[in-house]
Amino acid sequence: MSLTRTRTGTLLATPAILYMLVFFIVPSLILFAYSFWSSASYRIVPDFQFNNYLGSLASPVFWKVTFNAIRIGLFTATVTLILSILVGYYLVYVSRSQTILYLILITWFSSYLVRIYAWRTLLGTNGVLNTVLLQLGVIDHPVSAFLFSPFAVTITLVHIYLPFCILLVVSSLSEIKRDLIDAARDLGTSLIGAFFKVIAPNAANGLIGAFMLTFILVAGDYVTPQMLGGSSGQTTGLLIADQFRKTGNWPLGAAQAFLMFGISIVLYAFITALGRATGLIVKRRAKTEREI
Amino acid sequence: MLLRIIVWAILAFLLAPLLIIVLFSFHASPSLSFPFAGFSLRWYEELFGNAQLASAVIKSLTIALLTALVTLLLGATASLAWLRFGRAGRGMIEALTVTPIALPGLFVGVSLLVLFAQSGTQLSTATIVIAHVVIAIPILIVAMKARLALFDPSLEEAARDLGASQMQTFARVTLPLIAPTLIASSILAFAVSFDEFVVTSFVAGTETTLPMYIWSMMRRTVTPLVNAISTLALFFSIAILVASWLIGQARRRSAIAGRLEQLEPLP
Repeated sequence: MSLTRTRTGTLLATPAILYMLVFFIVPSLILFAYSFWSSASYRIVPDFQFNNYLGSLASPVFWKVTFNAIRIGLFTATVTLILSILVGYYLVYVSRSQTILYLILITWFSSYLVRIYAWRTLLGTNGVLNTVLLQLGVIDHPVSAFLFSPFAVTITLVHIYLPFCILLVVSSLSEIKRDLIDAARDLGTSLIGAFFKVIAPNAANGLIGAFMLTFILVAGDYVTPQMLGGSSGQTTGLLIADQFRKTGNWPLGAAQAFLMFGISIVLYAFITALGRATGLIVKRRAKTEREI
Repeated sequence: MLLRIIVWAILAFLLAPLLIIVLFSFHASPSLSFPFAGFSLRWYEELFGNAQLASAVIKSLTIALLTALVTLLLGATASLAWLRFGRAGRGMIEALTVTPIALPGLFVGVSLLVLFAQSGTQLSTATIVIAHVVIAIPILIVAMKARLALFDPSLEEAARDLGASQMQTFARVTLPLIAPTLIASSILAFAVSFDEFVVTSFVAGTETTLPMYIWSMMRRTVTPLVNAISTLALFFSIAILVASWLIGQARRRSAIAGRLEQLEPLP
């Protein structure tokens, strides 16, 4: 019975697995192979050399846009995570409001480009924010710096990725038993203390996961910084995308994509180590609990 | 109480920009600022006379429908397999099918572009559908996983023990239990495809989907037409979301009611 079960399972899993192998794993491997190829006068030549990596690592432009992407990513992911924890805490422990959950889902599924466009409209020189501030007398002439600034980029990215992050945080907080918090509160811990002593250690892996996922998606998003950041919105993503569209040096773009990937992994390891060192992440006792 | 205010402020932050777009799509003047000069449907009228836009919408609807169908087929079989696997098998399915959700669209887009270039595949509607399925499957699998965790395999075993064939067990026990979630999540796949922009921009070739048309309008000028298109796209997404939720609810209710009816004739 169990054997036929597994065999039917394997048969059923085949289409999806094959699909993902052909259209996800194989393309990623080809892209990786490309990163060692060379490009000469708009022709791509199979090769095995590290110049794409070494050249990028030695290029000040690459580091400038990469630091920009990392800065935007870290800052946005931090703000997004804090807001998500507030909403997540409310949804899990205070009120299981379906209305709020559906409002969040609606924003998650509202068009990506529309949201970018909405913030352009809001922050533009003749935009809503400027006209309202002018009428209120807060400013005497339109502030052009709202748009095309790191501020505009961050607020839009938070807006775009917050719904997704909230859903991740809600699912990781849902796994913590309410009794644990009640017990801590009964023993005299403040609400904020209970968060750091009970919720954070228990949900640490989920919260760090949510942070990193938001960071990777934000740091790789090149459309928003381009549309709202102007010249301050140059990120690695845009550099990579341009290699595949304008300049046509695909191997270089491939190498930069994998560098960005590597940097994300290093950051993840660093943040996890930081969490361990500060005691926010405690080695889970989940295993012993399960054994009991 | 303070938390409640903060949460509603965050929701206002999420919703306000969208509401402002909707408001200005009915603005009688082309200006995108207050004071509001009165309501008019002129931008919508202009939209409906636009042949390029109409063809972009049709293209996007076709792609979204094909994406939803392929995702439904692959997702349904994968879910059934998931039910039959132990921990290791489940882990493998998840690792393969969920990972793309954690990667920027840029990465998925360029890697498919090199695959198509390397295999000499002409970029077309088909390549867009292929790309959309790659990013829609993770969403379907995540949604299914939450649902399947509640699935009781002993129901299938009971049906088999009572003499039902494998096909009968599937048609009368397994399918009715997983169908609502499957349909609801393939509607989500439709919504994801309809809105997808970054991946599409790499694999579309000369095809123009609705998001790509909106993008070209956004880049050229700030025209109030974009507000009207955005509003329609927004309401379309909400309609899809509501439809997906209603189907999930209705099917579940009718499945339960159906089972109760079957129980009644018993003495």
